[in-house]
Amino acid sequence: MSDPAITFCGDDALRLSAPDRDERLARASQLQATGDWLEVVPGRRDVTVQFDPFRHGPDEALAHLARTLATPAPPPSRTLETVELPVHFGGKNGPDLADISTRTGLPESEVISRLLSEALQVDMLGFTPGFAYMSGLDAALEIPRLLQPRQQVPAGSIGLITGQCGLYALAGPAGWPIIGRTPVSLFDAAADNPFRLRPGMQVRLVDADQS
Amino acid sequence: MSLTILQPGVQATLQGAPRIGSRHLGVPASGPADPLSMALANRLVGKASDATAIEITFGGAAIRFDAPVSFAVTGAQSALTLAGRAVEPHVTHSAGEGDELQIAPARQGCRVYIAIAGDIDANIFLGSTSTYLPATLGGYEGRALRPGETVQLASVRVIPPMETPEDLHPVCSNSYALRAVEGPDFPASARHMWDETFTATQRASRMGVELEGAFPYIPEDASHPSAAIFPGALQLPPGGRGFLLLADAQTTGGYPHLLQVIRADRHLLGQVRPGDRIRFLHRTQQQAADALRAKQALLSAWLPDFHL
Repeated sequence: MSDPAITFCGDDALRLSAPDRDERLARASQLQATGDWLEVVPGRRDVTVQFDPFRHGPDEALAHLARTLATPAPPPSRTLETVELPVHFGGKNGPDLADISTRTGLPESEVISRLLSEALQVDMLGFTPGFAYMSGLDAALEIPRLLQPRQQVPAGSIGLITGQCGLYALAGPAGWPIIGRTPVSLFDAAADNPFRLRPGMQVRLVDADQS
Repeated sequence: MSLTILQPGVQATLQGAPRIGSRHLGVPASGPADPLSMALANRLVGKASDATAIEITFGGAAIRFDAPVSFAVTGAQSALTLAGRAVEPHVTHSAGEGDELQIAPARQGCRVYIAIAGDIDANIFLGSTSTYLPATLGGYEGRALRPGETVQLASVRVIPPMETPEDLHPVCSNSYALRAVEGPDFPASARHMWDETFTATQRASRMGVELEGAFPYIPEDASHPSAAIFPGALQLPPGGRGFLLLADAQTTGGYPHLLQVIRADRHLLGQVRPGDRIRFLHRTQQQAADALRAKQALLSAWLPDFHL
């Protein structure tokens, strides 16, 4: 069992390299469905599983993962759900819009319209509860991380960084330049399903001030 | 029935079971930073290892019981008094109505656990009562307890005393040798790390402990795409100080993941305090698994429902 795509991630976790997004999410669903792993966590280019060392030794866990992966991942059982999120851009909702405009050389209206033109894909949730990493951003909108992270941004803030878009489900510190904010609740601890977004979903941003 | 937090110390939270299977939603484990100490406290009051208990950082706390109830204290070494009389950790005690438990500042170790022979009322999120402060989840309104606040208790009992077997009293120290395996980003230039001693800085919380020492040089542009990260990971953010992750650690990260403290030794991380010295002992995955089984075997007779 020396599948080069699988490596140890510490003493009780294994990492499967899966750069292709659809493959990665399909593998994550497949591994989640087996119930064999304590955690199945998709990353930006991989899927990491944590195993129960009281159930599998490290070599057994490696062999077991390789056996599961020998079966192709079933295609997604349902069509991708698309979520529309209204967004207030700029001003106090998006304090970095002007700076993003300067850095990209695009007028603010053009930055916004490029963000609205394509559906974004939720790649993964991580960092803090419900924080969504999304891809599908126009290449012109690549900008770097803030030099000084903000101590606090409100829930629903939308940040851009190096070709990704991040949605802050909770208020908290933020290192990404913030372009706008959605008033839609993305995380509600009291709800049956606390998370509005899930990996694999599509997100369409809508300009809340233009409708 | 209730108890009143007269002084919460630096930080007092309610902790129960870790949240397992929710990291893909961005929800960390939480639960006690030192699960073994919490299990030992719960054992002395006849509760399940992961029953909700009180975690107090650095001791320095006081609690008043408003009705007779048994309790036990474990974890960081602190002098204890009950109604003015000195009492020992790792023994079941019974408080009378109005009695105050005083917990002195911890001499060694970082976190004290108080278990109660009764059910502590706490919020539940994803099946667990554990407090996760950054998202105000679980516990007492998702936050740390404040002076004068009252925690509700149900089904309280006074039970015959028990004592933790002598050989299971955890040793708190100012220096730790933690067994670890290489992480996915361990560079060849890091081999010297196994011979170094690192020191915990003042930056310490339930999310992690910062370490200073001779970390390898990793170019700042060596950014990694965000990937899963777990408690026990030693990350190296830009700036050259390591960060050792604890129970509340974020679920994904992009900093180089140099080492992983093995599961058998992760409970020790919750007792590391600023100024403590840490060495890492190099192990393979198989050695880590063997060490886990060996330590588990020592614990199982006294803590049959506890898993490291």
